[in-house]
Amino acid sequence: MTSRETFYDLLIRAAFMVAVYVVFAAMLPSYHTLRGAGAILDGAVLIGLTALGIGITMIAGEFDLSVGSLAAVIGVFTINLIIAGMSVVPAIAIAVLAAAAFGALQGFVIALTGINSLVFTIGTLIGLRGFALIISDENSVTIPIPRLGETDFLGVKYLGLFSPLTILMFVVFLVVHLFLRYTLWGREIFAIGGGRTEARAAGVPIMRAMVISFALSGALAGLAGAVSSVRLASATPLGFDTLLLSAVTACLIGGIALDGGKGTVLGILIGLFTMRFLVGGVASLGAPYWLQSLAIGALLIFILVVQLGAMILRERAAHSGLGELSPP
Amino acid sequence: MIGELLQRSAQAEGPAADGLAAARRRRGFLFMGLGIVTVLVIGGLTTPSFLTFENLLVVIRAASITGIIALGMSYITISGNLFALSAEELAILAACIFAFLMRDGYGLALALTATLIFAGASGAIQGGVISLGGDPIITTLAFGALFRGIASLVSDNKNILLGTKAAEWLGTGRPFGVPTQSWAFIILTLVAWFVLQRTRFGRQLTLIGANRLAAKASGLRVGQASVVALTLFGVCCGLAGISAAAQFGLAVANLFSGLTIDVIAAVLVGGIPLRGGQGSPVQAALGAVFIALLQNFMLLHTFTTGQRMLVIGSLVALATVGFHLLQKRQE
Repeated sequence: MTSRETFYDLLIRAAFMVAVYVVFAAMLPSYHTLRGAGAILDGAVLIGLTALGIGITMIAGEFDLSVGSLAAVIGVFTINLIIAGMSVVPAIAIAVLAAAAFGALQGFVIALTGINSLVFTIGTLIGLRGFALIISDENSVTIPIPRLGETDFLGVKYLGLFSPLTILMFVVFLVVHLFLRYTLWGREIFAIGGGRTEARAAGVPIMRAMVISFALSGALAGLAGAVSSVRLASATPLGFDTLLLSAVTACLIGGIALDGGKGTVLGILIGLFTMRFLVGGVASLGAPYWLQSLAIGALLIFILVVQLGAMILRERAAHSGLGELSPP
Repeated sequence: MIGELLQRSAQAEGPAADGLAAARRRRGFLFMGLGIVTVLVIGGLTTPSFLTFENLLVVIRAASITGIIALGMSYITISGNLFALSAEELAILAACIFAFLMRDGYGLALALTATLIFAGASGAIQGGVISLGGDPIITTLAFGALFRGIASLVSDNKNILLGTKAAEWLGTGRPFGVPTQSWAFIILTLVAWFVLQRTRFGRQLTLIGANRLAAKASGLRVGQASVVALTLFGVCCGLAGISAAAQFGLAVANLFSGLTIDVIAAVLVGGIPLRGGQGSPVQAALGAVFIALLQNFMLLHTFTTGQRMLVIGSLVALATVGFHLLQKRQE
């Protein structure tokens, strides 16, 4: 895809996002207020960080199913570190490093053996969930009440809109964007996703790109689990089980290609907010929480059908000789 | 359609081409057999109550629901469509619909037929989207979310009580001392094996999974195979849902927690390769039995839920890496 096509693609997706916002803003007064917008931003952090991680592995042509379980492990681990006496920020930092190390190990094994990441991450998905149950003694873990004050700084709102976690999310998105776009190691991730054989022939170290993309995916899922557990002051070992669905939905709405090599960080951000506007809107309209699943499912199917339709139309155009602008 | 295909039972297409695949299949069976025997021996030597007829019935019963859906899932994998992430949700939805129909007094026969047709159609729709070029993982993830939402809607997120004993036998009966689910599991395993290995449809499904382009070039209907595989999978999920609703006398939107992953684990531990075109539903069935056996052994040794999941997860990771490396070495 040329940069011009990418631009128009993102423009269409952004227009869809704005349309979803306008529809709900017409029905919901809270969508006009600073407080409402702040709540939407806060609600996007968990899914946003995870989606960014999933997006990176999808760009590398892989798929990491284990993010939900990893977020649960890291959430419990962070709270455990705080209970053991560590202060909040170092605890999050150590937990995220652990998540990155696990991700890197996962990427290493997948690259070394050449196994399909879908298959391998099913195993780690189960095993990590078990590990979360073990380190939590099969119970929720909570920050002791006398120390709850230590997490108060997360509730501050700058300009009435941005909480520290929201700012963190935007900073992480920016850093990942710069990394993927302007560094060699980042470009290599696109290269191995676009065509593994060609990339290998061109001398791209597959191992490095795989380890980095899975380490980032692990770190981001871990960061998501850690900060949202600290924000709630508790973590449950069985939590984050629907995280994968939401994160994948955000990536797909944002135009991350399933067969790898294509996608932008800005697209993930657009996909994230399209979904937040919809799900948050459905919830604010008074629908029970379990209808969110219906809304996300319907949205994902809608996106899928639109993309399939576009693909079939493009193929038709190509066959009838009209597709000279985009050679196969 | 399957009936017609069954009649035209296919001939074996040259022993040479099949030799390698058959060898791999035998190896899959061998590993599973070794695994099962190892657990049986160690369990029998260390755990007094393990090798009793009663306990083995418990194991088979525990394996049945996972196993029945794993049979359907194996068709999806063998046809080259990876796997479906909507098993749990479709089974829940089927249970809710069955319970709903039973509660409103439509009678057992109608409720059974309608639920199975609905479950099959839900599978077929997913198969349709996949055959148009939709990614199997994403498509089934999306439909799974939709099914769960509809199940919550149908049940208002509360228990639906069947309110009648008409279906109880389906869930709790024990013809000749063996639970109905286990009979269904055993019989369906044989049927699934026969259809895949001995009918034209089964061989076409395997060929399509092995080489989609070659299959297309030889005039096979590739899209149709995906639809049929997903339909059969849907019917299996429907059976699981009906059986659970009948057993507990109610349906609720959080039945079957973690079932999808258990089913995929059974398929993978059974050694069916994800790239398609290889393997047998019997491997998936054995995988389900092996995992149930291991779970039972760990339960008798009072492992916690977390410890058991950690062991099963490690088993899946190790088994898949092992199968993958063996396959790579052979090529």
